[in-house]
Formats: sequence, C-alpha cells, structure tokens
Amino acid sequence: MRPETSVGIIGWGSYIPRWRLPLSEIAKLWGFAPETPRGLNVVEKAVAGRDEDAVTMGWEASRNALLRAGIDPKEIGAVWFGTESKPYAVKPSATIIAEALGITPDTMATDLEFACRAGSEALRISIGAVASGLVKYALVIGSDTAQANPGDILEFTASSAATALITGPAREAAAVFEASYTYITDTPDFWRRAHQPYPLHGEGFTGEPAYFHHIVNAVKGLLEQTGLKVDDFDYAVFHQPNGKFPLAVAKRLGFPREKVLPGLVTPYIGNSYNSSALIGLSRVLDIAKPGQRILLAPFGSGAGSDAYSIVVTDRILEKQDKAPKVDDYINRKYLIDYATYAKFRGIIARIR
Amino acid sequence: MRFSIPRYWRERHSHYRLYAKKCSNCGRVNYPPSNICRYCGSIELEDYNLDREKAKIISWTIIYPAPEGFEEQRPRIIALLETLETKTRIIAPLTDILPEEIREGLIVEPVLRRIKEDREAGLIHYAIAYRPVIGSIGTSKQ
Repeated sequence: MRPETSVGIIGWGSYIPRWRLPLSEIAKLWGFAPETPRGLNVVEKAVAGRDEDAVTMGWEASRNALLRAGIDPKEIGAVWFGTESKPYAVKPSATIIAEALGITPDTMATDLEFACRAGSEALRISIGAVASGLVKYALVIGSDTAQANPGDILEFTASSAATALITGPAREAAAVFEASYTYITDTPDFWRRAHQPYPLHGEGFTGEPAYFHHIVNAVKGLLEQTGLKVDDFDYAVFHQPNGKFPLAVAKRLGFPREKVLPGLVTPYIGNSYNSSALIGLSRVLDIAKPGQRILLAPFGSGAGSDAYSIVVTDRILEKQDKAPKVDDYINRKYLIDYATYAKFRGIIARIR
Repeated sequence: MRFSIPRYWRERHSHYRLYAKKCSNCGRVNYPPSNICRYCGSIELEDYNLDREKAKIISWTIIYPAPEGFEEQRPRIIALLETLETKTRIIAPLTDILPEEIREGLIVEPVLRRIKEDREAGLIHYAIAYRPVIGSIGTSKQ
C-alpha cells in the first residue's frame, strides 16, 4: 500500500486575470516573424493587472478551492505556496494568503521555489504530510506572474495565473492519488540570478535535455512502479511552456492528442509557470467523471518532473459547480495592447 | 517609509476580510466594526466578515487626480455598494472593470488586491476590492 492511496484532492480552483495580450502585439513591436505565435501554438497570454500579483491570484484560486472543499479553513494545517514571482524576496507570501483566508494561526506556511514545479513539489510533500497524519488538510498553491526579458522569445508565453489544490483524507476526496514519482537532475536550462529582473535560458537546450528528458523519465518511472499502461489513462496533463511541447511529449510517450487537449490551457492564456500543469489538471477536474484516471506531469527548470496517477471518485460531481471553472476565466477576457501590458507588468520604469 | 507598519498590521483583518460586527439584537452589520450597535444601541455583537458576500453597485465616482501611492492605478474607481445578504453599505474600490462598463445594480464580488505600496522597497498593502462576478461582464469587444 503506497502512502498516496490514503490521500486525495478535496478541493481545487484556479484563477486567470481578465487582461489578454494578443501575441501578434509582441511580434509586431519586437520584429519577430508574424507566424511566430502560430509556431508556439499560443494565441494570447493572460496578463495580471496593476493591482495583481502572485499573492492576489493565489488567494482567489485558494478561495475557489475552499468553496469546492467545503471545509472550515481552520482545519488546514499547511499552506505551501509555489512561485518564482514572489512579491517579496524575503517575507512569506503564504502567510498573507493564510491570514486573508482565515487559516492562521494554527498552521504551517511557507513559499517554495523550483522554477515551474515548486507547486508540484509542495503537492508531493502534502501527500506525505496528510498520509502521516501530521496535518488533516494542506493547501497547495502554484501561482506566477511570469517575467520575461522584453523582446525575448520567452515573452510570447510568460503569463499570469494561479491554481490551488486542497489535499486531505482519501475518503473525502474528489480524486485520489494512486502513485507519484519524481525525477530530478542538475540541468541548467533556465535560471534567474539574484537581483536580476528577468530569467535567462538555454534556447533549444530547454527542450531535449530538460523538458523532454525529465518528463519522459518521470512518467516512465510512474508506469514501471505501478504497472499501469498508457491506455489506462483517460487524460494526460503535462507542463505546458507553449502549446507545442505537451503534444510532442505525449506523442513520444504514446498518449493520443485527444487525451491531452482537455488539459491544454496554454494556447489560450500562455504559460503560467507554477500554475501551468496544475491549471490543466484543474480544467480536467472541472469535467472529469467518476472512475476516470488522470496522468499529471509538471516540470520545472533546473530541472525536474513529477508524475502522478490520480483516480476520480463519485464526489467530484457534487464539487464541480461550487466555484467558477477554468473555462469561465478563459472566457472572461479583454484584449489589451503592448503599452497597457508594459504598464501592468512594470516594464515601464518610473521613479517612485 | 511613508506608511505606518503597525497601522497596516493592526487593520489587516479589516483590509483582508472586511471584518465587521453583527448585532445579535437587530441583526444589522456594523461596518466599520463597533462594540455598540449604531442602529439599536445593543452591546450584544458578534464578529462578522463581509468578504463572502456579493454586493450591488449603488453609485460610484471616477477619481483622476490620484493620491500618493496610487499613481499607477489612475483613474481610481470608488463605489458605494450594498451587500446582497445583510444589506450592509460599504465604500470600496472597483477593479477589473472599465469606466464604461459600470452601471447601477451591477453585481460585484470581493477579491484581494494590491491597494498601494510603500515605494519600491517598503510594504505592499493588500486589501479587498470589488470586481464584476465571473461571467457578468462579457468577452473582448476589440
């Protein structure tokens, strides 16, 4: 019996800002070939407003997860916040969210950093914490206002969104963990040095030795550990830095396109880093049926990937309509121009 | 530092949760919180957070000359709201809305936002603002 089987997802929720930048605006301003967005399979990216950051977005995703969980916030014993865009370099973001949701003071709370998979590391830690009885419920958040050097290819996809999962006892869960597996190496594909405003990356190096190598090995490890086959899964959700990589890695592993598309959110909103794979899971949970099995494989640069097998229970149906769905946020959009985006994301520097 | 740290900390439950007091005698919500009901004079009041109630817009104003700390949020939209459940009237900022989208009776909901910040290095002040409920303001017109 694996520890995972006693733990499940009690509530889930996401948040996407209203503002969208058409990628054609970036191509036009920085002189990229007009077909660049099509090559990435992304049309628009979500942009956090001037009064938003990883904390405010994480708050709303968590509020939605709490609505679905239907639990007293005081019963949450851990708030773990995965991000690479902390509003404070020093001062926890997790405490702000915990206080604002009425979870404090009898709780653990911290921020985790592992590029795009800090939230997923938090999810694995929460499985251990719940399975051991250390906490009854844990709130796991992946939230980012992703930064990109203006004019860098990364700017096309770096977007803003958040997803929160509340883990707890399997008997109360909408979906139960069956197994999980992590694959980590020291691979320098993407980084941001201290005090630098934007990350740098190894261009093509971010693909083969980083994204593909780690996800493929994490998923293979999971399948070997469990004896499950690709055909046993109804959905496959991968980290989605663009709209192209998740489909390519799925093909390599043998997952058909139609099992990937329901959890593929990046073409509509861009890559929301710590929320990237998790918002895909959130969208699948919005529509999943009891008995279905979901593969989740987040990835973080630096580098590592986790693979989870998640089985949906009967309780999912009573929770799906208790909070706004990912598609409600995808459809709530207003197109902005590059100047507005630059102001919202602090790209225009002012003396204050 | 331009803004008081102790004051922000002391008022955090008002900012984050719209902390108020509900009268056990007449049932009305006192916001800002008061230990004596300002409607019936009772001293029997219990804690009540207004952050889970939706509200409707009664009136609003658009402020172009922004005070210090709010320059990047120009224009600021401040609304008089009435919560749907307890009919409590509050004044709060609106967000995620364009001036031309605002109308009387529009249903809005509380969200945590960055309200102001103490220059580059100081504290960020978070508080509740209101935005149209998801689905009520449509997709792009552009």
